[in-house]
Amino acid sequence: MPERADTKYWTSLAERDASRSSVEDEFPQPLDPTATSVSRRGFLQAAGFSAVAATLASCARAPVEKAIPYLIKPEEVTPGRALWYASTCGGCSAACGVLVKNRDGRPIKLEGNPDHPLSRGGMCAAGQASVLGLYDSRRLKQPLLAGTPTTWADADREVAGRLAAVARDGAVRFLTATLPSPTERSMIGRFLARFPDARHVVYDAVSSSAILDAHLRTHGVRVLPRYRVERAEVIASFDADFLGTWISPVEYAAGWRSGRDLESRPPRCSYHAQLESRLSLSGAKADRRVRAAPHEVGPALERLTVALARVAGVAFRSGDGKVGAEVAAIVDDLALRLWQARGRSLVVCGSQDTDVQVLANLANHLLGSYGATLDIERPSLQRQGSDGDLATLLTELAAGRVAALLVAGCNPVFDLPGGAALAHALGKVPLVVSLAPRLDETARCAGIVCPVGHQLEEWGDAEPVAGVFSLRQPAIEPLGDTRPLVESLALWSGEPRGALELVREHWRSDVFPHQGGEREFEAFWDAAVQRGAVEITPAPSRAGAFRPGSARPLPPSPRPTGLTAVLHAAIAMPTAEHAYNAWLHELPDPVTKVTWDNVAGLSPATAHRLGVAEGDVVRVEADGVALELPAYVQPGQHDDVVAIALGYGAEASRRFADIGPQWLEAGPSVGENGLVGTNAAPLLALADGTLRYERSGVRLSRTGRRRALACTQSHHTLTVPDRLAPGGTDRRPIVEETTVRALAAGPADRLETPEEVKHDLWPEDHPTPGHRWAMVVDLAACTGCSACVVACQVENNIPVVGRDEVRRRRAMHWLRIDRYFSGDEGEVDVAFEPMMCQHCGHAPCETVCPVLATVHSQEGLNQQVYNRCIGTRYCANNCPYKARRFNWFNYAHSDRLADLVLNPDVTVRTRGVMEKCTFCVQRIEEAKIEAKRTGTQVADGVIRPACQQSCPVGAITFGDLNDPTSAVSRAMANPRRFRVLDELNVRPSAGYLAVSRNREEGGYERV
Amino acid sequence: MSEALRLTVPAAPGSLVPPRDSDRHGSFRQPLVVGNKSLSDVTRDICSPMDTRPTALWWGGFLFSFAVMLLGAAAVAYQVATGVGVWGLNTTVGWAFDITNFVFWIGIGHAGTLISAILFLFRQRWRTSVNRAAEAMTIFAVMCAGIFPVIHTGRPWLAFWMFPYPNTRGSLWVNFRSPLIWDFFAISTYFTISAMFWYLGLLPDLATIRDRAGARWRQRLAGFLALGWNGSLRTWQRYETVYLLLAGLATPLVVSVHTIVSWDFATAVIPGWHATIFPPYFVAGAIFSGMSMVLTLMLVARKTMHLEDYITMRHVDVMTKLIILTGSIVALAYATEFFTALYSGNPYERFVFSNRALGPMAWSYWTMVGCNVVSPQLLWFRRVRSNLAAVFVVTIFINVGMWFERFVIIVTSLHRDFLPANWASYTPSSVELATAAGSLGLFFTCFLLFVRFVPVVAMGEVKGVLAYGRAPSGQGQPSASPIMREGGGSGPRSPATSPTGGEGAEVRS
Repeated sequence: MPERADTKYWTSLAERDASRSSVEDEFPQPLDPTATSVSRRGFLQAAGFSAVAATLASCARAPVEKAIPYLIKPEEVTPGRALWYASTCGGCSAACGVLVKNRDGRPIKLEGNPDHPLSRGGMCAAGQASVLGLYDSRRLKQPLLAGTPTTWADADREVAGRLAAVARDGAVRFLTATLPSPTERSMIGRFLARFPDARHVVYDAVSSSAILDAHLRTHGVRVLPRYRVERAEVIASFDADFLGTWISPVEYAAGWRSGRDLESRPPRCSYHAQLESRLSLSGAKADRRVRAAPHEVGPALERLTVALARVAGVAFRSGDGKVGAEVAAIVDDLALRLWQARGRSLVVCGSQDTDVQVLANLANHLLGSYGATLDIERPSLQRQGSDGDLATLLTELAAGRVAALLVAGCNPVFDLPGGAALAHALGKVPLVVSLAPRLDETARCAGIVCPVGHQLEEWGDAEPVAGVFSLRQPAIEPLGDTRPLVESLALWSGEPRGALELVREHWRSDVFPHQGGEREFEAFWDAAVQRGAVEITPAPSRAGAFRPGSARPLPPSPRPTGLTAVLHAAIAMPTAEHAYNAWLHELPDPVTKVTWDNVAGLSPATAHRLGVAEGDVVRVEADGVALELPAYVQPGQHDDVVAIALGYGAEASRRFADIGPQWLEAGPSVGENGLVGTNAAPLLALADGTLRYERSGVRLSRTGRRRALACTQSHHTLTVPDRLAPGGTDRRPIVEETTVRALAAGPADRLETPEEVKHDLWPEDHPTPGHRWAMVVDLAACTGCSACVVACQVENNIPVVGRDEVRRRRAMHWLRIDRYFSGDEGEVDVAFEPMMCQHCGHAPCETVCPVLATVHSQEGLNQQVYNRCIGTRYCANNCPYKARRFNWFNYAHSDRLADLVLNPDVTVRTRGVMEKCTFCVQRIEEAKIEAKRTGTQVADGVIRPACQQSCPVGAITFGDLNDPTSAVSRAMANPRRFRVLDELNVRPSAGYLAVSRNREEGGYERV
Repeated sequence: MSEALRLTVPAAPGSLVPPRDSDRHGSFRQPLVVGNKSLSDVTRDICSPMDTRPTALWWGGFLFSFAVMLLGAAAVAYQVATGVGVWGLNTTVGWAFDITNFVFWIGIGHAGTLISAILFLFRQRWRTSVNRAAEAMTIFAVMCAGIFPVIHTGRPWLAFWMFPYPNTRGSLWVNFRSPLIWDFFAISTYFTISAMFWYLGLLPDLATIRDRAGARWRQRLAGFLALGWNGSLRTWQRYETVYLLLAGLATPLVVSVHTIVSWDFATAVIPGWHATIFPPYFVAGAIFSGMSMVLTLMLVARKTMHLEDYITMRHVDVMTKLIILTGSIVALAYATEFFTALYSGNPYERFVFSNRALGPMAWSYWTMVGCNVVSPQLLWFRRVRSNLAAVFVVTIFINVGMWFERFVIIVTSLHRDFLPANWASYTPSSVELATAAGSLGLFFTCFLLFVRFVPVVAMGEVKGVLAYGRAPSGQGQPSASPIMREGGGSGPRSPATSPTGGEGAEVRS
C-alpha cells in the first residue's frame, strides 16, 4: 500500500513536537488511522470467514431431539406396539366398558369393550372424546387453598381441622352427581358416618329423578329400572331420547338395534313410536313419530294408560287431559300394538313429572313389562339423583344451616337454576371442599379444592346395573399431583389407604362373595382386571309388587301460553363436565349440524311467525330470567317449543377464545360472553320435587343482532329448491329408503343387474389381486350418534379448527354424518348418512392430481401421499362426495401436553396438504403384519376401523371384498345395498344399506 | 431531417417489394396510417416517449399501478407465510379467485397471439399498428396468469414438483393424466413462444433505438439486445424467415392453450365443468376478452401517446368487428350449455344451470350475460363503433364480464354439486381481493414500463404499410414476403447504403 502524504499543520513548534512525542510515548506502535483500514487481503479473509461461518452455521440441522431408547426396557413394553387395558368409561354415569389403547406408556384411544355386558363394544361421542381430558393442560395439578396452590399436607390439615370443628353439631353434606362406583359410594358412607348430621345428596345435571320417585310410589322402592330395549318388540317413547342422551344411550341403542334384524327372512323388526316436542335422535329413527307439545306428553300417556286399562279390564279413571287429534290417533294405534305385544313391549317416558312417570309405570305394569322388558329386580344405578334431596339441601344452604359441604363429580353452581344465588350461599358455608378435576364454577366458590385425577389415572370401579361390575384401571401415572376421591375420603376418615387397596377391599367383601366362578379372590380379581367386567347375582331387590292405587289421573293443567322452553342434553355436550373438550365442541350436533354453540331451536312455522331467521340472536325470557342466543330453524319440532341445549356456556370453555388459526379475518370461537354458548340452566325449575326441563310461558324477542352459526350443513333435504327445479327435478337418489314390508316381499339377495354393470375406459387399471377392502354402512341402523366421528378424529389425529373455520365450512372431520330431512317442515323423516372417502375404484381424484399424490393401492384403497401433495385442491374439487379435507393452515399442535394424545401410527399433516379417510390403513397394515408374522391369513373381522369399532349399533361393516364369505361381501349382497352416486361409475368401495322403517306405506325406492 | 432531404431521396430503386395497391390505400380503402407520415416521422413519433421525460399522467398511473402491485405482493407474501386459508375458499369451493384470475389472464393473452400470428398469416396488414402492444400484453398477461397456479397450491415452494424432471425420488414422475400437467406444458410453451416472437419482432426497432441513442449506455444496451442487427439484406431475409416460422408455431397455440385450460374443467366429473363444448367456447372467449383488452389499452395509449395517426378509427372498427364475432360465438356457447343441460336429462347438470341463472349466485351469472352478451350488441352500430368513449366502455364491460364468466364456471359449479349436504357458499377474503388487484397492478406496471422503454408500435412494420415513398402505381416485383419491410430494410436508403442499417442515420443526417 502506498504511503499517504498527509499534510499536517501545526500552530507552534511546541505543539508539533508535543503531539508527536506524546502519541509515540503512549503507544509503542504508531497510531496511524490508515493502518487500521482494511486491506484487500484482510477484507477477502474476513469475507471468506464470514461466508464460511454463515454456511457452517446454516448447515446445522434443526435442533435435534433425541429419542432415547429404554436403557432398561420395562417388561411388556415394546416400542411401537400398543397395550390394551380393560377399563370403564368415565364420560358419564352410564359407565360403559372400554379398552384403553396404550402406546409407549401413553393412553391414546378408548375403544368399546366387547365383553362388557351393557355397552357390548359400543361407545358414545363424549366417551370417545374423554381421553383428551387426560392431557388437558388446565386440569388442576395440585390442591388449592383459598385459590392458591398448596400441598396435599396443608390441604389435608386444613380439611381435617375444619371438619373437626364442625364434627359435633354441624351439618355435613356431600353433594355428588350419580357415582357409578360402589367403592366411592361406600367410602362416602363411611366418611359421613363420623358425623351426626351428615347426608349424601345426589343429583344429576340431566335428571331422571321422577322415574325413581315414581317407582317409590308404585313399587315401594326408589329405583331406576333397567330398560331391556333389546327384548321389546314395540317401543313407545314419550319424549325419552333413549337413542341419544337418555340415561344410557349406548346400551339402549345396542338393544334397539338387536331388535331390528332386517337380514332374517322374513325381517324381524321392532316397532318404535316416538312422541316428542323437539327432534331427537330417537325421533329421527322412529318408525312413527309425532310432534307433541311438552304439556301434551302427560295427557297422551294418560290416554294410552286408559286405553290399556280398558283392554286389560282394569279400572282406571281418566283425567280430562286433552290431546290433539294426531296425538290421539298415534296413541290409540300404539295402545293396540303395545297390547298385542304385551310382555314384549315397553313404554319409556322422559318426563320429570312424577305423576306422569307413575302413569308410565302403570302402563308398563298393564303390559306385563316388569320382569320382561323392564327390570327392577336388577335395577340400573346409572341415575341415582334425588331432586327432592337436592331441594332440601338448597333450602338448607340458603338458610345457612350447612356447616360443611363437599362437592364431587358435579358442578351445581353451573348446573342448577339460581346458580348465582347458590354461589352466594356457598360463600356462607364455613367449609366448602370441591373434589373437581378442574376449576369449574363450583370449585371457584370452594375454599379448598382437592383435585381428583382423570379416569385413566386412577383405580376405580363401577356398577352401572345391579350385579354388573366393572373395573377402572390406571393406564398412566398421574400427570399432576392429584388424588382419587376415595383416597382423600379414606385419609380424612383417618384410615389412609390407596385407591387400589380400597377397591380391592370393596370387591373382596361385596363382589367376590356373590359370584360363583372363582374360588380364590386373586384369581377372580385378575380375571376381572383382564376382562374389565363381571356379572354377579346381586342381593335380592326389595321391590314389591305394583301398588294398584298408586296411579291417579293427572291434575288438570291449563294450556300454557306462549312458548315452552325445552332444555335438553346435547349429543356433543351431554353435561358441562365436557366443556373443556374441543373435540366435542367441534362435533356437529347430529340433528342441527351446529358446532361451537347452543342455539334456540324454533320450528319453521314459529320462526316465520316471529320473523326470526337462522342466526338471529334472540332473547328468551321467562319470569325475569333472560338468555340471549342465536336462533336455529329446526324442522320437525313442535311449534310451541323453543329447544335449548344445556351444558354450554361453562367457564371451562373460556379457553377457546383463540383456538384455531389466527389470521387477518379470523373470528373467535367464543361468543360475546367469552364462552362457548350460553348456559341455559337458569331456565330450569326445581318444582314439585324434581328438576323440570320444560319452562312454559317463555317470551322470545329479536335483539336485532346476528351471529352466523358454525353449521356444517346448510341444505337439509335431498330435493333441490323448487325455484331451481325446472321440469320438476326430483329427489336426488343419494339415500334410498324402504320399508320392512317391502323388504319381506323383495328378493333376499341383491344381484347386479346387467344395466348396472358399466363399461370402463381402463378396465384393468387397478387390479386387486390380494385383498380388496370395502365398507358397508347400514343406514337403517345408524342413529347419527356421532361416536364414529369422534373416534375417527382421535384415531387419525384430525385437528380441531375452531368455530370460525367451521363457519367457513372447513371442518376437518374425515367422517361426517350427512343428515337429510324429508316430508314437510312439520312432520319430517330423517336420514343419517355417514360420509367418508368412498375409496372409488375409478377415483376422480386420482386422475387429476398433477404430482401423483393420490394413488390407488393394490388392495383397492385410495391413498393420499401427504409428503408428495402440493395442495392444488383439484382432487377435492373433483370428488363427487367432497370427502377430502384440506389443511388450510398449520393447525395448532403447540400444546405439548395435548400432543401426547396423538396416535403415533398416523402422520400429523402439515399445512397445504390434502387428507381424507384412509379406511384406517394403519390398522389394516398392523393386522397384515401380524398375520404375516404368525403365518396366517387376515381373518375377517380382525380389522376394525375406528368408526366401526366405536359404533354402538354395529352399523358399519368392513372387510375384504375378495373374500366371498366375509361379512362385507355378504353385506354387499344385501338387497338393501346401494352405492351413492353409482351412476357416475366411479366404483365406490363403500356401500350403503337403505334406510328402512317399520311402516305400512312406502315401498322400495330405487330411483 | 429536413423536408428537402426527404424529397430528394428517391424511392428505393432496389426496394425488395413494391407495395400493392391494397397497401397503399389499405385493404379497406382507407390508409392504414394517416397523417401523411414520412419514415422519419414514424420513428420520431414512436420513439418520442423514450426521448422525453415521462408525463405526470404516466407517473400517476405508474405509481398507482406499482402501489397496487405491491399490495398484491404483500397479500401473496402473507398468504404464502400463513396458508391458503387466508382466502375465502372452503371444502366445497376449492378454487375461486385463484383459478378465475388464472384463466382470465390466460384468455387476455390470446388476442396478442391472434393478432401477431394468425392475422400475420392471413396478411391482415392493419395488425402492424397494434401487434407490438398486443404481444406485450400477451406476455404480461401470461406472467400474471402464471403466478396463480403457483400461489394457489397449499405448498407453493414445492410447486416445481409439477415439472417432470429427473429426480432422486425413485424417480417420481408427474401424472400425465392430470390436466394440470397439460396446463403446465401448454402455458410454459405459450409463454416461451410468445416471448420469443415478441423479442424477434423487436429486433429491427431495437436497432433503430441503438442508432438514435444519445447516451452511450443506451446505445450499448440496445445494441446488445439488437443482436448485432445491421439491416443487411441477408439479415432481413433470415429475420423474415424466422418470423414466419415462429408465426406458424404460435398459431396452433392460440387454439391449443385455452383448449387445454378448458380441459382443467371439462375432464372433471363436476356438473357444469364436465362439458364437451368447453374447448371452442373457451378459445372464442379468450379471443373475445383479449381483443377487448387490446382495445382498452390501445384506446388509452392512442389518446395519451398521441398515436391517433397510427391507431386509426379503422383499427378500432376492425377490432370491434372481431369482438362482435367472438362475442357471438360466446353467446351461442352460453345458450348451447343450457340446451345441453336441458337435453341431457341429467338432473345434476340441469340443476347446475338453473342454479346458475336463478340460484344464490345468479347475480354473477347475469353480470356475465349483461357484459358479454348484451353490451357487445351495441357494436353493431357504426355510430357506437366510431365513438371511442363508447367503445372503451364496452370493452371495459367485456373485460369484467369475461372475468365473471370464469368465476361463474368455477364457483357456481362447485358450490352446489352432487350431495346437497356439501352445498356451501363462497365469499372472497380481503387477501384474495388484494391478490386479484395486485395482478392487475402487475399487469399495468409492466405495460406502463413497456410504453416508456419499448417502441409501442412496431416501427419496422408500420413503415412497410406507409403510403410514403411508394411508386404511384404497382411497379416492380410483387410481394414475395409478407413481412412489412421496414426499419433499415426498404427505407429511403437501401440497406447497403445505410451505414448502420437503421433509421438512425437518417435521423441524424
